[in-house]
Amino acid sequence: MMLMPPFELHHPSTVDEAVELAATIMAKGEAFDWVAGGTDVLPNYKWRINPKPHVISLAGIEEAHVLSSEELGCMVPLSSLTAENDVHPLLVQAASKVASSLIRKSATVGGNLCLDTRCFWYNQSEDWRRSIDWCHKADCGTGADCRVIPNQNTLCVATYQGDLAPNFMVLDASVVLIGPDGERTMPLAEFYELDGMKKNVLKTGEFLLKVMLPKEAAQRKGCYQKLRVRDSWDFPEAGIAASWVPGDASTLMVASTALESIPRLHAQQVGDHLEAGELDPVVLAKDVQKSVKPVNNTALPPRYRRSMVKTLTKRALLGILE
Amino acid sequence: MGSYRQQPGTPSSEVRKDGKRVAGKQVFPPPGSGGSDPKMRPRDLDFIPETVGGKEPKPAGDHIHDRDRTGTVVGKPIPLVDSNAKVTGQAWYGDDVRLPGELIGKILRSPHHYARIKSIDTSRVEALPGVVAVSTGQDAPNRFGVLPVTKDEHAMAVEKVRHVGDLVACVAAVDEATAIEALSLFDIEWEELEPVFDPKKGLEDHDEPIHWRGKYHLARTNVQKRVFQEFGDRSLVKTPHASSHGSWTMSGVHHGFTEPHAVVAHWDPNGRLQLYTPQQVPHYTHRALSTVLDVPMHQINVIRTFVGGGFGGKSDPFPHEMCAALLARKAGRPVRITFDREEVYWINRGRHPSHIDVKMTADESGRISGFDIDALIDGGGFASFGHVTSYYNGVLATAPYELGSFHYTGARVWTNKPASGAMRGHGAVNTRCAVEVGLDEMAESMKVDPIDLRLANLLPPHSRTISGFRITSNGMREALERVREGSDWDSKFRQLPLGKGIGIGCGFFISGSGLPIHWDPKNFPHATVHIQVDMDGGVTVHTGAADIGQGSTTAVAQVVAEVLALPIEMIHVRSHESDTSPVDLGSYSSRVTFMNANAAIRAAIGIRDQLLKAAWEMLGYHPNVLVLNDRRIYYKHDPAVGVSYLQALHKAQADTGALIARGAYRSPPMGGVHKGAAAGLAPAYSFSAYVAEVDVDVETGLVSCTNVWAAHDCGKALNPLAVKGQIIGSCHMGLGQVLTEKMVYGRTGHLQNANLLEYKIPSVHEMPHVEAIIVESSDPEGPFGAKEAGEGPLLPILPAVVNAVYDAIGIRLRDLPLTPDVVYAGIEKHLKQHGLDDAEAIESPRLKHGPLQKVLVARSDEHRERDRLRQRSEDTSAYVNGVLFGFDPDRPLAEQVEGWREADEPLPEQLAELGFAGRAWLKKEQRHMGGDE
Repeated sequence: MMLMPPFELHHPSTVDEAVELAATIMAKGEAFDWVAGGTDVLPNYKWRINPKPHVISLAGIEEAHVLSSEELGCMVPLSSLTAENDVHPLLVQAASKVASSLIRKSATVGGNLCLDTRCFWYNQSEDWRRSIDWCHKADCGTGADCRVIPNQNTLCVATYQGDLAPNFMVLDASVVLIGPDGERTMPLAEFYELDGMKKNVLKTGEFLLKVMLPKEAAQRKGCYQKLRVRDSWDFPEAGIAASWVPGDASTLMVASTALESIPRLHAQQVGDHLEAGELDPVVLAKDVQKSVKPVNNTALPPRYRRSMVKTLTKRALLGILE
Repeated sequence: MGSYRQQPGTPSSEVRKDGKRVAGKQVFPPPGSGGSDPKMRPRDLDFIPETVGGKEPKPAGDHIHDRDRTGTVVGKPIPLVDSNAKVTGQAWYGDDVRLPGELIGKILRSPHHYARIKSIDTSRVEALPGVVAVSTGQDAPNRFGVLPVTKDEHAMAVEKVRHVGDLVACVAAVDEATAIEALSLFDIEWEELEPVFDPKKGLEDHDEPIHWRGKYHLARTNVQKRVFQEFGDRSLVKTPHASSHGSWTMSGVHHGFTEPHAVVAHWDPNGRLQLYTPQQVPHYTHRALSTVLDVPMHQINVIRTFVGGGFGGKSDPFPHEMCAALLARKAGRPVRITFDREEVYWINRGRHPSHIDVKMTADESGRISGFDIDALIDGGGFASFGHVTSYYNGVLATAPYELGSFHYTGARVWTNKPASGAMRGHGAVNTRCAVEVGLDEMAESMKVDPIDLRLANLLPPHSRTISGFRITSNGMREALERVREGSDWDSKFRQLPLGKGIGIGCGFFISGSGLPIHWDPKNFPHATVHIQVDMDGGVTVHTGAADIGQGSTTAVAQVVAEVLALPIEMIHVRSHESDTSPVDLGSYSSRVTFMNANAAIRAAIGIRDQLLKAAWEMLGYHPNVLVLNDRRIYYKHDPAVGVSYLQALHKAQADTGALIARGAYRSPPMGGVHKGAAAGLAPAYSFSAYVAEVDVDVETGLVSCTNVWAAHDCGKALNPLAVKGQIIGSCHMGLGQVLTEKMVYGRTGHLQNANLLEYKIPSVHEMPHVEAIIVESSDPEGPFGAKEAGEGPLLPILPAVVNAVYDAIGIRLRDLPLTPDVVYAGIEKHLKQHGLDDAEAIESPRLKHGPLQKVLVARSDEHRERDRLRQRSEDTSAYVNGVLFGFDPDRPLAEQVEGWREADEPLPEQLAELGFAGRAWLKKEQRHMGGDE
């Protein structure tokens, strides 16, 4: 029902063309967004949440569609993350829990990893935001305070609610970024940058081209635990992914999502725990719980979500240990 | 039944070479009208009552409409007659109406919770190219409201805005983008006022009450309506054998219909207003438009489009309907306004957020000696149906149980939030949940089975409640017995492992409101239906009943088809326009099938009598010995002697032209005389009992409902398919309220989840298996015995689930919805209280029957026979609430019991002990304070 604000849509067919387009738009001093599946960006546009005059679609870029057990292009729809396509079982499991089957046909790997952070003061219409005298994240020109943590407008604490990120993290994935300064590759765990507005290390003009998995990832057994009210549509209210190479505690990895502005790999907690002795899922679960601090900006209260980190972590660990 | 519908097919082989048509052999044969073909289908005896020679069982005995049954369509599962239009996308909903030259209207909404408008400057708006008309509250100062007693709305704010999203002004432009741009050009000077969000605060005096009712205003509070009702002997509750007490907080919920509100207004060349709107009650809109626009009703034609779900949320006359009409009048062009989902939540009219307190007591024989209910309900910014809701929260709890006494205090307060209103199960749902859970708790303390506690305390058929409601048919006992058996209750209740639970809940609801809001039922009927039959034999039915998806058009078509013994394809229901539809109160209070179908039966009998008279003239047999069946009328003792429907019709038309008949329904006189006696009064009541099974994850608090056995007494299922659909749909909606749905008002008073992602309606994954069980009690006054099935079935699912959660984890939860955080908080508290550190160590509740169990079982066995005789009218003695307590039903109770009271105001000595809402009685009205202002 809501009217889409006008924008110019660009369809580059190669990476170079895309990067060049971006550079041209930037040179004109104009803003743009990348769009893959559009299931996150476009609803935000309809709500007048930071709409831009230009949108560059990555759909025409062939490399963005690559799909194998070790390489997943940013344009790969979540509905293609299946065992038949030789995708890691953990990713198949996680993708099947994203949104609804209909949305998964459009939503993509890249879009899910670069998902905008969410907050119930932010994901609202313009009329609504006017009624709270604007939001620090959505209405940057207004100098508005953050509504989650009042009386400050320096930090945005909107919550990252993507499902795939923690799962890619515990499979030790890297991401390939491409921009005007060329290509760079980094571990996914280093891709995110703490701040609900900045979200990740992408520079303007740069985009996430694909995700790479190491060969060893195939040996890993993983489990993803997602907390949500309904078994369809809902974003995670908390999510824990865990994996290991069965039998080898030193390979254990645990990551969380939907608890803070970025997903997080809990290497520190796992390392400390294993150093202290045998793997004890209950104790480790408590350690992970202690390390996260959700805020009140999603459907369920933060205290509860934090409590659930323990349960979810325990279940994820038991899921891979059994 | 086979279809008479036209189907494309191969051309008839019988084609005459001279180009003339072979009679009755068209390429697409017309729907059968009988013609001269004497062949007919045999009568379907399975659907003709045994009381008139058929095989359909009539456990409740004779019914006045038995003689009108023809075995054609009543009682058979048929798809709704408008379903083809819907599944092919051809149904025209509000936003589908496109008139030439239309403008797009947009509404400017308040960014403030509560503020005074000091000035509005529209000059910049008017200067924007593409803007054709602008309107503000000053253009329409007349107030309207759904109830004549509480007209507190304007088309747009006249002086004050009362919630974020309240209407301030509107604009019509050549396209949507221009209209949206125009909204940013209004220059408004505001004076912000101190808002009220907490309904408890609404009971206190306020500098600037949200509305002002003059001499009737209650002090300076925000109380819109207060209610006190007390019946019976309150001394009974002083020394209870058992009791329970629960304080509930229930969130507001929204109907969540698929179609957002939309309206198209057009002033035709003759200056008449044509208004297209998806309305449940077009007649109220019709009246309100007349008031607001200062135009007589006959110069307005309200056209009800298809309605994409209503559930009570489209039954108020709405300000945006006025806005469209105002803009169209100014612009001289049609104006269309369609809401965003957010606007749907801002206009709201959903179920009231409520604080409900229920105390109940039982005596040593397991009789319920008292219900004591206090309901504080949050009305939001406007009255809407709230006057009625305030009563319903109490009085609809006076059945199905026989009570020693009943005490209710209720208050509805205005707050600076979107207005609450009527929603499926209007006013009855929240209290019902609290009462049914209270019974479960009380049964536990009495060491008895909660189903047996209920069975031993039911009011029988043909009785009177403590508040004076007249109960006619009553299938409550059968409903309880069938869900008990269907769910295998006796081997599951209090015997399932931790995390698995089963629970029971009952329901009771009105089948049509006995009092039409705008007139005295003695002077004007509730519903009128016109039927017209012309030469082609097709039957056109004019009714004002608003089909909102519940199938009222189908019900009307069915009963007409049944009486006339015609295929339903020959019945054409016209119900969209107020120009052609008789006045009808539309779809609310589950009245349509009961009232409208009754009127339709009467009209159809009027047509039938004309046909039979013609057949009498043709055949020489009196109508008493003529039979209607499948487009034929024939002599009862020799089916070969007969005429076709068309022959009889043409004969009947010989002198008069088209046959015309009308039928009306009015409710019989009933009810008490105390203040509020009309609230909850209905010509019949539905009863239901559900058993729900749940799984509770004790580590996360997530509850999933896995199975529901849902028995509903709808009198007679005219269309079992539609009844089952209503039962399953009600389960879905009720499950939403009890488990996930909630209008969240945040720290700042803003509605935080005005969208369908965060307002969590259960998806198909959350739907349990629902075993829909239809109980047929055959209501003596219902059409062919039918009662409502649209709202009552929602009530029992809430308490059934809450009780099942208790059965699963032994924790009573009274904050709805039972979202996982609420359940988990309950579990944490329980662990702390019991010194446990692992949720898996919680002990499930268990039941060992106490001595009272036998007493209850014996009593319910006795009552089963009592009820059977009364249901069959073999026992027609009077029965009023109180007989169970030993009173003589033929003498006034007040004569028999010292202290028996029927009161609508508290005694001075009661004031100190009233519940939360009851505190409204500590205040005086302005007229009693010497003030008025």
